[in-house]
Amino acid sequence: MPTLPQFLSQAFNGIALGSLLALVASGLSIILGTLGVLNFAHGAMFMLGAYTAFVVLGHWDSFAIALALGALVLVLVGFATERGLIRFYYSRPKEDQILVTFGLGIMMVEAVRYVFGSLSQPVPLPSWGQGIVNLGFFIFPLYRVEVIGIVAVLLFTFYQLLYRTRIGLVVRAGIEDPLMVELLGTHVRRVFMVVFTIGAMAAGIAGVIYAPLAAVIPNMGEPFLVQCFVVVVIGGLGSFPGAVVGGIVVGEILSLTTLFDPAYSQAAIYAVMALVLIVRPRGLFGTMGRA
Amino acid sequence: MDGSNGRRLKRWLPELSMAIALVILPFVFDTWLGSVDLFTRILIWGIFGLGFDLLFGRTGLLSFGQGAFYGTGGFVTAYLLTSGRMDNVWLALAAGVAAAALFSVFVGLLALRRVGIYFAMITLAFGELSFFLENSPLSRWTGGENGLPGVPAPSIQIGGLDYSFAGSWPSYQLIAGFYFIGFVFARFVVLSPVGSVLTAIQQNPQRTAALGHDVAAYKLTVFVLAAIFAGCGGALLGIFQSYMPPDAFGLDTSGQLVIQTVIGGAGTLIGPAVGAAIWLTLRDLLQQVPAIGDLWKFILGLVFVLLVTFMPNGVVGNIIRVWLRFGFRPAVATGTDRPGDVTAREALLAPLPTAIAPSLPPRLALDVRDISKAYGGIQAVDRVSLALPEGRLHAIIGPNGAGKSTFLRLLACEETPDSGEILLHGIDVAAADVTAAYQYGLAKSYQINQLFPQLTMRQNLRIGALGRHRGRLRLDIFRPADGFAKVEDVVAALLEELGLTECADLVVSTLPYGEKRRLELGLALASQPSVLLLDEPLAGLSAVEREGVKQLIRNLRKGRTIILVEHDMDAVFELAERITVLHEGRKLAEGTPNEISGDPLVKQAYLGGMTVP
Amino acid sequence: MSMIEIERINTYYGDSHVLFDVSMVVREREVVALLGRNGAGKSTTLKTLAGVLHPRSGTIRFEGEPIELLPSHKIARLGLQLVPEERRIFGGLTVEENLDLAALSAPAPLPLAEIFAIFPRLRERRGSYGRSLSGGEQQMLTIARALIRRPRLILLDEPFEGLAVIIVQNLLEVCRQLVAQGQTIVIVEQNVRAALSLASRAYVLNNGHVVFEGTSEALQASPDVMNRYLGV
Repeated sequence: MPTLPQFLSQAFNGIALGSLLALVASGLSIILGTLGVLNFAHGAMFMLGAYTAFVVLGHWDSFAIALALGALVLVLVGFATERGLIRFYYSRPKEDQILVTFGLGIMMVEAVRYVFGSLSQPVPLPSWGQGIVNLGFFIFPLYRVEVIGIVAVLLFTFYQLLYRTRIGLVVRAGIEDPLMVELLGTHVRRVFMVVFTIGAMAAGIAGVIYAPLAAVIPNMGEPFLVQCFVVVVIGGLGSFPGAVVGGIVVGEILSLTTLFDPAYSQAAIYAVMALVLIVRPRGLFGTMGRA
Repeated sequence: MDGSNGRRLKRWLPELSMAIALVILPFVFDTWLGSVDLFTRILIWGIFGLGFDLLFGRTGLLSFGQGAFYGTGGFVTAYLLTSGRMDNVWLALAAGVAAAALFSVFVGLLALRRVGIYFAMITLAFGELSFFLENSPLSRWTGGENGLPGVPAPSIQIGGLDYSFAGSWPSYQLIAGFYFIGFVFARFVVLSPVGSVLTAIQQNPQRTAALGHDVAAYKLTVFVLAAIFAGCGGALLGIFQSYMPPDAFGLDTSGQLVIQTVIGGAGTLIGPAVGAAIWLTLRDLLQQVPAIGDLWKFILGLVFVLLVTFMPNGVVGNIIRVWLRFGFRPAVATGTDRPGDVTAREALLAPLPTAIAPSLPPRLALDVRDISKAYGGIQAVDRVSLALPEGRLHAIIGPNGAGKSTFLRLLACEETPDSGEILLHGIDVAAADVTAAYQYGLAKSYQINQLFPQLTMRQNLRIGALGRHRGRLRLDIFRPADGFAKVEDVVAALLEELGLTECADLVVSTLPYGEKRRLELGLALASQPSVLLLDEPLAGLSAVEREGVKQLIRNLRKGRTIILVEHDMDAVFELAERITVLHEGRKLAEGTPNEISGDPLVKQAYLGGMTVP
Repeated sequence: MSMIEIERINTYYGDSHVLFDVSMVVREREVVALLGRNGAGKSTTLKTLAGVLHPRSGTIRFEGEPIELLPSHKIARLGLQLVPEERRIFGGLTVEENLDLAALSAPAPLPLAEIFAIFPRLRERRGSYGRSLSGGEQQMLTIARALIRRPRLILLDEPFEGLAVIIVQNLLEVCRQLVAQGQTIVIVEQNVRAALSLASRAYVLNNGHVVFEGTSEALQASPDVMNRYLGV
């Protein structure tokens, strides 16, 4: 039986991990809900953020610059991808969209592998992230607390964007009924570019934040991609609250199950996904339709 | 070239060519590369891909997790052999394939609940799940990161002959043998009624279900078939390499399968093998070019993206398109020529007796008792009853929002009423689904055409007729799709009846709307139903075409009960014996056309609503 | 000058021919009723006007400019506003958000206060989500969404369908006020009496063809036309 400090420690880790998942998954979910495109390159975009952090922190000691540049790189990549490739696929079948983003993901991973090699690149913790927080009854790393804080701020910003801005209004309406949005005079397609870019940016920033915590290798996005799919299935397609709640849930499951048997923690999230599919296929917050 | 020998040659030409290729090509590889091993690997991917092509190329189900079954087959076989639990390699292989099949039933039951994007995500997740399980919790049996070395090769002992398949050339013979058998089997599937149903599912799954086929069961069947091929491929990989690698389960494997299939051409059966040849050869070649070296996968990824964008049919797919454009048409079953004998046609197309004979022959063909249906808070249909003796042509009319479409959907078993009964020749079908309804002899023709656009007229009708004659599910893989004489006769009679014989073997998407509308009717007729529901059969037709369809409907009355929903009032009054008027979900009036046109309540409902503001 | 001139348009759903050489004229400040049984092509005509469908042949001029090939968002911006049959309220947005969205692309939208003056009920429900509104409230909202854009021409597609009498009376009153203010309206309605109480002129469609064109009085004075094409 795990002890209380162990339990709390893992529960806390679950929030840290879950919040990162929530950030990446919200990007994926909004892209899916608005554009109807399942971005198989999303994991690769996450990875690009981590590598940007590696490059930046090799030259400057500022994590803030890493975050800013990570966001910028992914904004450019997202913009280029949507304008240069994805937008030709909106009227093609879903399977084609999946295939092309899958191929794109491979290209990104291989390009990075060519430049940086396959070995893990070390990314140092920021100076304000080193150390621990000691609450007496339990101890956890400072950086993870900060991660939760940063992601909370970002998710809050995301929320504001979605619920308090004109673009957010168009996106939310467009997820529901794009034709009606057009009938009210707004060209929905123009918004697609913004949505895709923001989604890519969310993945990239998450990558920057995650970089000091784990091995930075070209394939690092792959497990995140799959876990994101699980989050989206659990939380519901196209739902921002679903992605957040789903992310935390998956993060907690991953962390807490390691208390009992680390070997089965991955299996546990797939078991939950299977359960959701049987009991409530549209997920916690999703609506039917859209596959 | 219609002689039966000519047709037999055309049927078996691909298998023949494959056999020849499998004999000649290895020597090409051996000479060019010094070893036949690359070709053996290509064929292993080919076996894996045969099943995947049936799943994705033919049925349209894009799975990113086939590695789960490839790995299961491979590791079960390898474990049984390397742990000493089994000596006979053939048995171990069979066990591996069986394990893969079993696993796929479990995954399929979950994943196939969804389609498209969700299906891709779920299969991906299960693929990763297996990879993870293999790597950690089960590593005691799978060797974890190290895999399982020491997998032996099988041997045959017949009479005095003792042949072991170990070594480069014998391995090739083993795998080429399996590939050939797999190819022949896959060809049987494709050319069978099962293959036709799978293609229909890809093009219009809802209509396929409404034509009497158990779509979920067929999907599960092809999913398991794909897993069997995958498991076989995995097991053979272990045998070939004498080593079972851990990455068999991974996304790399599943992804590579998808890429190779798309490059080679989905739906062509040999596409995956061709794609594997291209991928593996280019990989070896590109890696040797100094300027490229490690960028080979990036370049192949780029090639893949370009192919998906500009040449989505893949290499083989495009070759076939060019082939067809230059006039080499495959052998098409044109069906026997029928004399235009009306009575013979009518006999052929007469309604089939319902499968379950009720104890007392009921007076009514269709007895609808007080059915209701509500959505949210709105009562769309409110205790409506309808009693139709056999042979009646009955119309249902009513203003917008009256509940006609909902009522018809309830009758067609597309939805279940909240209360009430629908008795078809005495059997309550209210809770039945569309597939069962079709089997019982109740068929609907849709307001918006629901056809199989990439198939010919004849093939479309065949899907319908096969539904009734074969039942919900039949795995008659070794029968050709046009192998039921009765079905072919019915299809030919339908084509005559509908006036579509001339365009029988033309692809539907190329035909004008009038022909498509008549095909739509034909699909409902293909089950030789005793009750026919026609949802706005005249929609979108010109005046001349309307006359034709009206005459068709009159001809259809013999022995059949017809319910007609139409807005063309002239047509309704011409055709219907009796009319029911619905208003706000309730039956407002019912009677002969004269009675209805004189009814003041009906007039008011149409002109001003029941209450005037 | 005519606000709308439709000349011999032929619209198809896929390859189903739904409108056959339909021609119509609507002048400024007019209210025109488009009548017929369902399936006759009334909604299809409105959708073609709004750019949801495009005719295969024929022309549509809006204030002199050809619009038959324009996408729907551009047509909306020109001042031609469709109020769709299914209402199509954004269920996940509040009443106010629905209105804000409608006002986004309008150069000089009506102030919210004025909208609420026309529909006081919407002020009470301004913070409620679209999906929680009743049928009548949804219809008010969807009309309000059109009005907030100050459109030159409003196309009303079956605005009274499925609503209780009181609400229909309420909406009719709103429409009468709009007419008095000079709003140009095309109304499609199965409730012939309600439609003719608003409209000065009427077109009747049958199976995609125009079979009657004239004043409301002329139509009401032709019981044979009414019965043949509108009744049973």
